[in-house]
Amino acid sequence: MPIYAPSLPPRPELSQGSHPIAVLTKFDLRRVIKRKVGFFIFGFIFLTILLIELIVLYGKYLINTSPGLGGLKEFANKIMTQGANYQAGLLDWWMLVPLWFMMAFMVGGIISRDSLYRIRPLIYAHPVRPQDYISAKALSAFIIPMTVMLPFVLLPWGLSMAMAGKAGPIWMSAPLYLLPAAIIIGLLMAAVTLGASAMAGSPRASFGWVLGIVLGTSAIGSIFGLTLHSKQWMAMSPYFLVQAWPQLIFNVSDPLLKWIPTIAGTVVHIAFWTWIAVKRTKPSEAVL
Amino acid sequence: MISFESLEVRYGPTIALKGLSLTLEDGVVGLLGPNGSGKSTLLKTLLGLLHPSAGGGHVLGIPLGTHEAAKLRGRIGYMPEYDALIEDTSAYEQVAFWGELSGLTPEQARDRAHEVLYFVALDEARYRPVSGYSTGMRQRVKLAQALVHSPELVFLDEPTNGLDPDGRKRMLDLVLKVHVDLGTSVIMASHLLEDVERVSDQLVILDKGEVKAAGSMAGLRRMLAKRFELRFLDPLNESQEGKLAELGTVLEHRNGIYDVELAAADPVLPFRFAKGIGAVLVQLTPRHDRLDEVLIRALRGKIGETISATTGSH
Repeated sequence: MPIYAPSLPPRPELSQGSHPIAVLTKFDLRRVIKRKVGFFIFGFIFLTILLIELIVLYGKYLINTSPGLGGLKEFANKIMTQGANYQAGLLDWWMLVPLWFMMAFMVGGIISRDSLYRIRPLIYAHPVRPQDYISAKALSAFIIPMTVMLPFVLLPWGLSMAMAGKAGPIWMSAPLYLLPAAIIIGLLMAAVTLGASAMAGSPRASFGWVLGIVLGTSAIGSIFGLTLHSKQWMAMSPYFLVQAWPQLIFNVSDPLLKWIPTIAGTVVHIAFWTWIAVKRTKPSEAVL
Repeated sequence: MISFESLEVRYGPTIALKGLSLTLEDGVVGLLGPNGSGKSTLLKTLLGLLHPSAGGGHVLGIPLGTHEAAKLRGRIGYMPEYDALIEDTSAYEQVAFWGELSGLTPEQARDRAHEVLYFVALDEARYRPVSGYSTGMRQRVKLAQALVHSPELVFLDEPTNGLDPDGRKRMLDLVLKVHVDLGTSVIMASHLLEDVERVSDQLVILDKGEVKAAGSMAGLRRMLAKRFELRFLDPLNESQEGKLAELGTVLEHRNGIYDVELAAADPVLPFRFAKGIGAVLVQLTPRHDRLDEVLIRALRGKIGETISATTGSH
């Protein structure tokens, strides 16, 4: 037989707490990280990318400093020059593809988990406005890829500066180019994942939705590109868009896409998937 | 506590609430009605999630359909009908989260989660993931999250759903405790009429977006106390039957038995009436209606005005 407390002590003031966006974001991030499989994926991808970065940097350092490897210097300078291509490569496909998987796997459930557990109506039964809810979800979906990208923008730069200073493989000013690119990539990934998650009924379905959107639009973009003999059609795909941004910002000689299709594609994707997320999480859609 | 006038809510061309006018006082209000009657729409509107297309009203003094609705929700608790629990977290974590979302600081929310889980007798199980909880425990977690910020008003949607008789009794005891010990007003939507009868002091019956009946349970009981079954020695002729209207409202006539709601709760009246029309009354049986019968009659449109007139509500 349960023993009930006779009553409750007086309630504290309700106005001292954090803004609902902060509360929801903190809860979502904690929920993502606390899941064992989520933590494993996050750690695995983080460490994999870190390992690749360190191998590349250390290899470059050895080649430049070790007399025994002098013969490789010319060859290495060709593939790891200080040029814009190398700098833009710090946010290249080898980082962005695992990031898409991580987004699908870890962030895919950001809205669909609320749908699965049917807690969204309960969230809206609290002092939470629809814009608070969607902002919190977008913030969480943005923070997670940024926590991977930021260290890999700043860490190699820091190491390069520490090891070789201005002569290192990474430009002193590289973060000024890489950070805006990372922010745009983070926003695009967050918007696509948010929209996919809003359409799905469970985190597992969200995983399929995110990959479906990325691969589907890539396939369609490539087909259009091949058929119409213009690779600019690939701007339909967020997969190609995230690769194009660092190249454009570093002004590489032969970027994957041009400025206008990249800007247009990015704006359309962010606007469309955010709109989907907003429409699918309206309070009136909440079934009480 | 709550009042609305000519409240109308639409979903596109469909009118979900048709010009409701109602005043509800502090206490425990039972909200009855079949599926699709508008209960959920009414709750959503009262929570400020839906905007009235016409009419208006006030909840805890805040006008409906204004930007202040978000603030209002900080003063209201809501316990949904279905399992709205985050399965992979403990009761303590989620109650603390709902407390923070209501405006408490993290420290206050954590303290409050302990207190409120003790209040609903879940203190020993509070660190276990809710996925391992029984139905009764899950219902109590939902009640705890609705109470964590000590709201002035709490909406309980089918709080006894899926509970065994013992669990139901405990939950209803808790609902009464919420009102009596915490001073929180309660609106309880339920299909289980016995539950409403047990805890409510006011009743609202909704159907097809309209209030079919509303008033105090005391008023309802007073009205029920006026219902009698009458049987006369010889069948009444047309003229005598016509005069029955002077005695009260004839609700049903079957096999010579008249189900009558008297104009006043005085059992002597039928004898006087029988004498007056020259008939012999051989049976006078009080009808102790259960609430379910009242609900069915209300939904058939036979009772609404009667309760309202008896209780003085509208």
